[in-house]
Amino acid sequence: MQADVAVIGSGPAGLVAAIEANRSGAKNVLLLEREEELGGILKQCIHNGFGLEQFKKDYTGPEYAERLIEDLGKTSVRCFLNTMVTGVSADRTITAVNPENGVFQIESKSIVLAMGCRERARGSINIPGTRPAGVLTAGTAQRLVNIDGYLPGKEVVILGSGDIGLIMARRLTLEGARVKGVYEIMNYPGGLKRNIVQCLNDFDIPLYLSHTVTEIRGRERVEGVVVSKVDEKMQPIGGSEKFIQCDTLLLSVGLIPENELSKGAGVELSRTTNGSVTSETMETSVPGIFSCGNVSTVFDLVDYVAQTGMSAGRNAAGFAAGVWKENGGSVEVVPGENVRVVFPQRYCFRDDLILYIRPAKPLERPVTIGIPPVEMYIKRLYARPNEMIRVKVPREKLEKAAGPIEVNIRER
Amino acid sequence: MDIEKKHFTCVTCPVGCEVDVELRDGNIVSMKGNKCDKVKEFVVQELKEPMRVLTTTVRIKGARWAMLPVRTDKPIPKRLFLQAIGELASIDLKAPVHISEVIIRDIAGSGANIVATRTVGRLETLMGDGQKT
Repeated sequence: MQADVAVIGSGPAGLVAAIEANRSGAKNVLLLEREEELGGILKQCIHNGFGLEQFKKDYTGPEYAERLIEDLGKTSVRCFLNTMVTGVSADRTITAVNPENGVFQIESKSIVLAMGCRERARGSINIPGTRPAGVLTAGTAQRLVNIDGYLPGKEVVILGSGDIGLIMARRLTLEGARVKGVYEIMNYPGGLKRNIVQCLNDFDIPLYLSHTVTEIRGRERVEGVVVSKVDEKMQPIGGSEKFIQCDTLLLSVGLIPENELSKGAGVELSRTTNGSVTSETMETSVPGIFSCGNVSTVFDLVDYVAQTGMSAGRNAAGFAAGVWKENGGSVEVVPGENVRVVFPQRYCFRDDLILYIRPAKPLERPVTIGIPPVEMYIKRLYARPNEMIRVKVPREKLEKAAGPIEVNIRER
Repeated sequence: MDIEKKHFTCVTCPVGCEVDVELRDGNIVSMKGNKCDKVKEFVVQELKEPMRVLTTTVRIKGARWAMLPVRTDKPIPKRLFLQAIGELASIDLKAPVHISEVIIRDIAGSGANIVATRTVGRLETLMGDGQKT
């Protein structure tokens, strides 16, 4: 099978990339999805707050997905459902399997990786204790409640204050469970502020910062967890242990880009985020292979995911059409003071540079986001790790950038 | 009359402005920290009656999945949430359902309707002819 652009994954990033690739002139665009429906994780994110920027509407996840799927229907993109991609090679051959075609290969002029991310689970954080039923990730609980109609437990403790954990605290409360508390190892919350307000404060669910679960108890089913305070090095403080009776422990302890396929193709991954290293065009280190959305870096908002999908789709179409010429190298984009993550990691002088910056720690006073090589300094009232900062650097400003483009955050 | 100080986090958009408000007799005399005008609207409403969009699910028969996602078509008083959820527990719904279709009118006397947030076909059409179950 041949394609101009093949997109792997049909969550928000993949849907937007496929639509945009087609709109940008790629005729033979394939969208490959392992599930039986398009939409990815949007289908289970029944809460609102999607597409405020992109569509100026307050959609729920399924509404946002349906809107994109409707747009996709107006294109000539061909969708392959129930199709699992098992390999991608650097020469842009995709190996996939589905019930109709068996194992088959697609030779594509360009590829967009849009596999999204997965949740860290108990094994990633090594919680001591027994191994009973009732320990699950927040996203698994979300799927069970919102799609399959099962309530995973009645008395719930949530470890980690990522957005999905906060959303599920509210969701489980509305469905009749009692959420006894959200415990966060850091001294600041992981999720968006609006979710702290709407999901915890609105329902009087307590948030305990600088706390973690140090033991899970129960034989067949969770009977309770031991929580402890942690010191500034995140080590549990002896003597602070407290037993909390519960039948369910939800984990909302971070997301990891799903990059197994990328690795197979030799795509360079970031050591900080495990996401694919890309330029502002969303091209990875392998020519003609692009990536977008949470497989690149974990974003806070779907609008940001869509923006990267747009860029990946447009540029993948350009690459497939052969209109890309070698334009002489790129410079690195690097995190400076108080910056944990800056995305993208390279600039290759083709597009405007839209930077996504994750602060390394909360700075609760006026700050300046500085990009010294282009002499851009942007003032903010504060910087927090749970709120990515987006800065657009116009292409004209970057023309003379010679060395690495450093991005820093300094208190004023 | 003393000035009362209150803190709000605006939930109108993901920016989540944190505002410090000074009140006299329940009226706003000053506000700090808001990046747009919608924040003031939010605070005024929050002082009067906190309003939120309710998103939840209802059981649906004859569809591929057990649950249909739904929402209120406008914000409703937060205090009506549990009553609304209660009214939704007993409804009898069958596929197909189209996105934006009204599932219940005037939920919990709020004046808002509960609408479907996705389209679901009947199971037969979804699964294809050979696989009727």
